[in-house]
Amino acid sequence: MANLLWLQGGACSGNTMSFLNAEEPSACDLVTDFGINILWHPSLGLELGENLQKMLKALTSGALPLDIFVFEGTVVNAPNGTGEWNRFAGRPMRDWVTDLCKVANFVVAIGDCATWGGIPATAPNPSDSQGLQFLKRSHGGYLGKDFKSKAGLPVINVPGCPAHPDWITQIVVAVATGRGGDLALDEFQRPKTFFTSFTQTGCTRNMHFAYKVSATEFGQRKGCLFYDLGCRGPMTHSPCNRILWNRQSSKTRAGMPCLGCTEPEFPFFDLAPGTVFKTQTVMGVPKDMPAGVDKTGYIKLTAAAKAASPRWAEQDIFVV
Amino acid sequence: MAVMMKNGLKTQTEPFPETDKEFAAILGELRQLDPEDLKGKMVIGGFIDQPYGPDQQRCLECMYYLVHRQWCDLPELSVPVDPNWWCRLWRI
Repeated sequence: MANLLWLQGGACSGNTMSFLNAEEPSACDLVTDFGINILWHPSLGLELGENLQKMLKALTSGALPLDIFVFEGTVVNAPNGTGEWNRFAGRPMRDWVTDLCKVANFVVAIGDCATWGGIPATAPNPSDSQGLQFLKRSHGGYLGKDFKSKAGLPVINVPGCPAHPDWITQIVVAVATGRGGDLALDEFQRPKTFFTSFTQTGCTRNMHFAYKVSATEFGQRKGCLFYDLGCRGPMTHSPCNRILWNRQSSKTRAGMPCLGCTEPEFPFFDLAPGTVFKTQTVMGVPKDMPAGVDKTGYIKLTAAAKAASPRWAEQDIFVV
Repeated sequence: MAVMMKNGLKTQTEPFPETDKEFAAILGELRQLDPEDLKGKMVIGGFIDQPYGPDQQRCLECMYYLVHRQWCDLPELSVPVDPNWWCRLWRI
């Protein structure tokens, strides 16, 4: 039996909603099949008031073992570094985070806000928000770059806005069943099993990407969303087109550009007007190239791809 | 279009839209036109009948160009084009 505690800092509850929609395994499977004891969760926990405080104190004192501490949302430091804007169970949430991270075997950050600050930490960051161990791309965050949980791992980051339900439950199960040490993490402490391939991997529009045919309006099934509509699929690490959403689809499959929500810079360009859903260019060339491609190579590739483009690439091949 | 350019139609090849805001402003001008106003589209779009600049940019490499239809698929233009032409809405 592994004790799991889930708390929320500066959050919209999106990752909680995602977690509750998990299917493989489901939130119920965690309890019935994988021996996870969910001590408390903002949407599921029964204890309130003093009873909750008593449980939290038992955890921070070590009287009650904490195997997995899951945190959703940012660590709020405002005003003036006190964290008073986000109080929970009688004290600033950030103080609970400090104490709980000291006693937890594993610490798991769920969603962009907990991993690197997400939207709340976007400039001007009025709530002085941080992720647990990153602030955007900068290593450190609230716990500091040297933090390791009792099991010897840094914070396990499962980003996304929200994170996919199954990324959450599969990582929790891996940790709860003693396979946490097998998790290989990338430079941003994301599990490599999910975050090595790109959002574009498995995208149904890859043929249009290859032949440089652009979607020019939302909802078009023809064309790639990267060239004009700001899709970040070619440079975003996520399995959104391998582990589908609702077992059915993904943003790009449905005609919605990838926003790059599993990367530390999300939301990109600090949401400046004109930067969302529009590919940013310099003299007509994208500012952000597909990962590993340079400008010269990109232009050469475009010329060759256009020259070789088959007739069907210009048609809506999904119409029956 | 080819005849108009051959006969010396002056179009607004500059300024090239260096930012997306400038690009959007040109699109805004195009949207004000009658969709049948071919000459207006050519003037505002900055069409020329040859490659442009040191990189020899041309419609053939532009992301809006449909090779087989020889067509510009940018909704605000939607005109037939030659692969060796260019306009200032060129994007790759």
